[in-house]
Amino acid sequence: MGMRKVAVVGAGMTKFVRRAQETGKELSWEAVRMALDSCEMTIDDIEAVCMGTAPDAFDGLHMKAEYLSDGAGAWLKPYMRSYVGGGTGIFAPIQGWYHVASGLFDTCLVVCEEKMSSFYPHAQAAFLTIFDHTTERALKPNLLWIFALEMNRYMHTYGVRKEDIALVSVLHKRNAADHPCALLGEPDITVEDVLNSEVLAWPVQRYDVSPVSDGAVAIVLAAEHVARRITDKPVWIEGVGWCLDTAYWTNRDLCYPRYVEVAARMAYEMAGITEPRKQIDIAEPYDPFDYKALHHLEGLQLADRGQAVQLYIDGTAARTGNMPVCPSGGLLGVGNPIAAAGLMKIAELFWQLRGEAGARQVPGNPRRGVAQAWGDLMQVGTVVVMGR
Amino acid sequence: MTLLERDPNAPVFWKGNMPVTSRYTFGLAGERFFRAIKDEGRILGTRCPECDITYVPATLFCERCMAELTEWVDAGEIGEVHTYTLLFEDMDGNRLPEPEIVAFVRLGDGGLVHRLGEVELDELYIGMNVEPVFKPAAERTGSILDILYFRPVD
Ligand SMILES: [Zn+2]
Repeated sequence: MGMRKVAVVGAGMTKFVRRAQETGKELSWEAVRMALDSCEMTIDDIEAVCMGTAPDAFDGLHMKAEYLSDGAGAWLKPYMRSYVGGGTGIFAPIQGWYHVASGLFDTCLVVCEEKMSSFYPHAQAAFLTIFDHTTERALKPNLLWIFALEMNRYMHTYGVRKEDIALVSVLHKRNAADHPCALLGEPDITVEDVLNSEVLAWPVQRYDVSPVSDGAVAIVLAAEHVARRITDKPVWIEGVGWCLDTAYWTNRDLCYPRYVEVAARMAYEMAGITEPRKQIDIAEPYDPFDYKALHHLEGLQLADRGQAVQLYIDGTAARTGNMPVCPSGGLLGVGNPIAAAGLMKIAELFWQLRGEAGARQVPGNPRRGVAQAWGDLMQVGTVVVMGR
Repeated sequence: MTLLERDPNAPVFWKGNMPVTSRYTFGLAGERFFRAIKDEGRILGTRCPECDITYVPATLFCERCMAELTEWVDAGEIGEVHTYTLLFEDMDGNRLPEPEIVAFVRLGDGGLVHRLGEVELDELYIGMNVEPVFKPAAERTGSILDILYFRPVD
């Protein structure tokens, strides 16, 4: 395709917290400083900046990316915001990738920020206004509704049991206990805890859901010739893909995310992956709800339809399993500051593939990983394959 | 006139709104900046020695070199009118009984956009020295409105 190779050479991440005292700018700056320091670069070495941040309503500021730009290090630089709702955290690094792959820039900083705690009394209310104003909004829908309807259909179609889906939440929250930035790591959580948690919208219960949070993540991208100067452990972006399904949910398959499949196939083809189940060592599917991780593993072609839960039942998904899933702890455990949560998955693969994930390190020198996010009007899939 | 032939008995619209209430934190730098306004009636900045810039309002970091800023300075009691405007209409387009004066008051290398008061229109000029007039200490809440306005300095 005439594209240049692009590597991730640095990453930084703030703690994900319930309510940050810092402003969104300050959170962004903290992540940027950590990312630059991690690869001994300065802001002068950065040629362009890509920002990912989800609905303006969360931070309570329109044109949020412009507001955040100084914290993102964008002063007097080419700067671009991309936004596909929850899919943003994987979409923004794709934007950064083609800034560099195209040959336009040799380095690009990608920053994702979310401060959901500003919205009062609860961020869920911000979602009301994403629905059709005349056909749906009058019913006061929120995201829990959507997930509940989709989860119920998924369970019904494939005969997946709630107590098995709860294994996802248990694994991710346990994994998160080893993440220094995690909001909800719970080393001792059990399936019973999930099943006994408060029902929010049947079949969705409190522990099926990731917590709203504040946080920021930043990564540094570099073209090959620059990356090799900066580090002897570049992690390459081997493939990218994204895709939107119909925005109207009654026209969409609720049991199977076609949009994730299309995005994954695009990324796999670019990465030369023909047998993802054999060639992917680590998966970081988007997991705002436990069943969504299963949904997405199936869309990513890492499990047959309705069968992803087997990866959790037989231990394949465990950190020491054959294909660890969300060794970071995922959104369910680390937290879900929307765009930042997606980029956290890219940062996790970066650390995992370099062998720098500390207590979370997947054994066996993993070589390749896939990260995926989902969102928009619940119909976008964004996928990045990384390898070393 | 409408673009489409329509049934005159069809419903015309569905009414909705987009309610948003936000609780904004001051941030790490803002916390100290507004505390100084509230408790001491002082306007603070932070300095980047590397870039030789004094940010007012104070910031946690330098947007040019991304360094953390730890050198806090008093922005001084006198600012300079960098530019101003006279507002003849309110936000909804209603005519105001008297024009309101809004100015960008230069402090350090930044400054504040705020109201001017105790000034006659024919005395107003760019470059004029002005000082902040604070609310009485007991009435301050840690808001930018703890500064009532800026007024000319003799
Ligand atoms: Zn500086």
